Amino acid sequence: MMHERSPHRRLTRIVAVTLALGTVAAACGGSDDDSTAATPAPTAAPTDDVEATGEIADEAPTTEAPAPTTEAPAPTTGAPAASGTVTVYIGRQYGIEPVFDSFTAATGIEVRFTSGGDPELRERLIAEGENTPADVVLTADAANAELAAGAGALAAIESDALTSAIPEELRSPDNMWFGLSRRARVVIYSTERVTEPPLTYAAVGDPQWQGRVCLRPSTHPYTQSLVASIIAAEGQERATEIVSSWVANDPLYINSDTDIYKAVAAGECDIAIANTYYLGRLQLEDPDFPVAIQFPEQDGRGAHVNISAGAVTANAPNPEAAKVLLEWLATDGQQEFVDANSEYPADPTVPTSDLVAAWGDFTADTGVIRQLGELNPTAVEVLSAAGYE
Amino acid sequence: MTLGVNAESSTTLRRRARSLPGWVAIVAVAAVVAAPVAVIIASILEPTAEVWQELWDTRLPGMIRDTVTLLVVVVVGSTIIGTGLAWLVTAYRFPGRRVLGWALVAPLAMPGYVLGFVWLDTLQGPLGARSVRSIWLCAAVLTMAFYPYVYLLARAAFRDQSAASIAVARSLGCTPWQAWWRVTLPMARPSIAAGAALVAMEVLTDVGTVRLFNVSTIADGVLRVWFGTGNRNAAAELATLLIGAAVLLIAAERLLRGRARYTQGGRRQTVVPRSSGFGSTIAASVVGWSVVAIAVVVPLVRLIRWVGEARATGQAVAMEGDLGHHLVASLQVAGFATVTCVLIGVTLAWLARRRGPVGQIVARLATLGYAVPGPVVAVGVVIALAAVDRWGWVPGGALLVGSMAGLIYALTVRFLAVSYQGVEASLAKVPPNVIAGARTLGARPWRVATRIELPLIRTGLLAASALVAIDAMKELPITLLLRPFGTDTLAVWVWRATSESFWVQAAVPSLAIVALGMIPVAILLWALERGAEVTT
Repeated sequence: MMHERSPHRRLTRIVAVTLALGTVAAACGGSDDDSTAATPAPTAAPTDDVEATGEIADEAPTTEAPAPTTEAPAPTTGAPAASGTVTVYIGRQYGIEPVFDSFTAATGIEVRFTSGGDPELRERLIAEGENTPADVVLTADAANAELAAGAGALAAIESDALTSAIPEELRSPDNMWFGLSRRARVVIYSTERVTEPPLTYAAVGDPQWQGRVCLRPSTHPYTQSLVASIIAAEGQERATEIVSSWVANDPLYINSDTDIYKAVAAGECDIAIANTYYLGRLQLEDPDFPVAIQFPEQDGRGAHVNISAGAVTANAPNPEAAKVLLEWLATDGQQEFVDANSEYPADPTVPTSDLVAAWGDFTADTGVIRQLGELNPTAVEVLSAAGYE
Repeated sequence: MTLGVNAESSTTLRRRARSLPGWVAIVAVAAVVAAPVAVIIASILEPTAEVWQELWDTRLPGMIRDTVTLLVVVVVGSTIIGTGLAWLVTAYRFPGRRVLGWALVAPLAMPGYVLGFVWLDTLQGPLGARSVRSIWLCAAVLTMAFYPYVYLLARAAFRDQSAASIAVARSLGCTPWQAWWRVTLPMARPSIAAGAALVAMEVLTDVGTVRLFNVSTIADGVLRVWFGTGNRNAAAELATLLIGAAVLLIAAERLLRGRARYTQGGRRQTVVPRSSGFGSTIAASVVGWSVVAIAVVVPLVRLIRWVGEARATGQAVAMEGDLGHHLVASLQVAGFATVTCVLIGVTLAWLARRRGPVGQIVARLATLGYAVPGPVVAVGVVIALAAVDRWGWVPGGALLVGSMAGLIYALTVRFLAVSYQGVEASLAKVPPNVIAGARTLGARPWRVATRIELPLIRTGLLAASALVAIDAMKELPITLLLRPFGTDTLAVWVWRATSESFWVQAAVPSLAIVALGMIPVAILLWALERGAEVTT
């Protein structure tokens, strides 16, 4: 959903009453300086902040942000050259609005965002080329960030704040994208019917789980990235065997992790592969939700971990603000960003929420994250060859 | 040709010269609307043989099987249900007939994906999550969503039919059933075929509903290839396969319609509904209302209960604040799309009518977007508009991608066929001798258009507008990808909730879409009733 802050929204409503005016405003929505063009009259409340930071921007054009953690909350002292509005394409769908609100409160920078599927947004960004209105891309997985980088749609980010907060294996070698949170894709099982869940991804293909497995269809990036990680660790041939053994168990394909959890709880299947944070949401509603997590591959490479990646676009109209947003999400905003969706922090010094900590510590397969994009097409091939739906 | 020019009479030359601007106009309009589709089709110039080999070895046979199965089941199902119910409410008198006649159109306002997730969740309990995800249930849902296309057109055809033909058939010894089968049905065939063709296009391009039920059609495969591997070319080639299938379907429909010239001369005597016996009354009511229950009532009840649940947990309160904003966005998008589609549809149909078969084909090319799945149209439009943006052809430095103009353009590419079809059919009903008469009396084509043709097709225009408005309101993938900042439609809200399986949160916007969609549905019904009055 595209979000204007509330004054904008009110304005949009007024504008919309006269349809003709509405077109004009909306038609300008894609232009470079649309932070003001999209809404014909500047709005009252946020303007002050915007202008305040705007002046500072003129004084310090491209500061290399020496101590970013301290600057963000105090926009009037040594803030980076950033102001106005930052435009975000976002592939994450859950609970981001309050995080952006906090960012605006901390920096005075307004956030406009449009959400959609990662791959669709990536294709739009690539097609828009130098005329893109997007400053920042926030993806739900690493592969889509890497694919966008490969197509030349992203710009390298020089930021000490980011490189010091985000561990090396969670960002691209050329600083094209940075992992802002970690998301573990694990084996989940019914606490009522299963005592010994599979300890590896391959074990999900064990014949004892015939007709008892739920999986997400291969159209979803999460499935593709999981298989990419298996290819990296065990080779394409073995990966095809593993995926084929899952398929041989006649899995029930459900295109929603939430529904997969619910299917396990309802007895439709006994084990499944899903992301952990969905359990967080369900446990918030029902603390006794009868599904538990088994982190797989704990004696080996570790559980498959993907990232939610942030990147600055190659043709960002407001790259300074883009950088400030990413830095804020990696530092001051990290805790809120991660906790908003019960994910694992990218910055190892940031603690997990109590809810998440209760699931236990685990070894994560972080070494493969940089390769997920490159291996994605092979993963799609393996899934097709194995007859995975 | 060059040799012949000199020999041609001056009048022919003059006529040709006069028609040249017309040709330029029709080709220009068609080219602009067809450009994004052409961008997609152009990809076959660089074939990706290895991808096809891999697809053929893996998913393609299954995709073709699922697509054909779905197509056959839904088209046959919609045709039988739509035609049967249309005849029922036309020819029989039973309590509640009028209301049923209207209620059967209501599913038009219900997006297939909403119908899909409501029934998926409702049947998941009794049937189990596994058996609920089947191609048959998917086909049933799509049939319920799309039969109104056939119903509407068949009903209009039945109503306009002369009772005299049936009486003649009966007097020649036909049983009522034989008279229906051999006279009534064949005379309505062109309309039924047109409805079935619409249903076929909708099935071919659906991507929202099929995914809910794990049915992997070719349209789904296009997205799989494109977004999964980033291989735009291979995906575009697959999309071209769909366009090919659609062209075949259109040709088949034309063939069915082409030979049939069922005109009815003289004073018309319409079919008078007759009372049915007690048994058949019950049967008719049960069948008719069951369809309404499955396609409208049960889903609505379910959605309303979800809204109640959402309110109880406090989720709805926060969301209702956004309702106005989303409503306005939906109205805005649907409004602009409707006006644009109808204006261009009228222009094209009017120009094409005067330019013989070649003109018709050129105009038809502009409507091919209807055979292309929404996300593919969207990306085709992005590619085309991004090129324009790069050249900086738009004055003032404004950009088309991500603008309202860009979104409306894409929706026009996708839905022009709906308005064109309606306008063309209405124009065809304007008797040529009336136009010829006006021309003989010295009226110029423009005057004929504004004084004779437009007034005569007014009702048809209204119906076409309503259909486009309904489609644009329900549309999701294009709006999702191309909407300008600040324009979140109700369908986008539904998507946001359902992409995380928050059915409860999707209830408010879903209900709003249905409520909003009822406005054009009502207009459509009114137009049809009026159309009936005009012709009788």
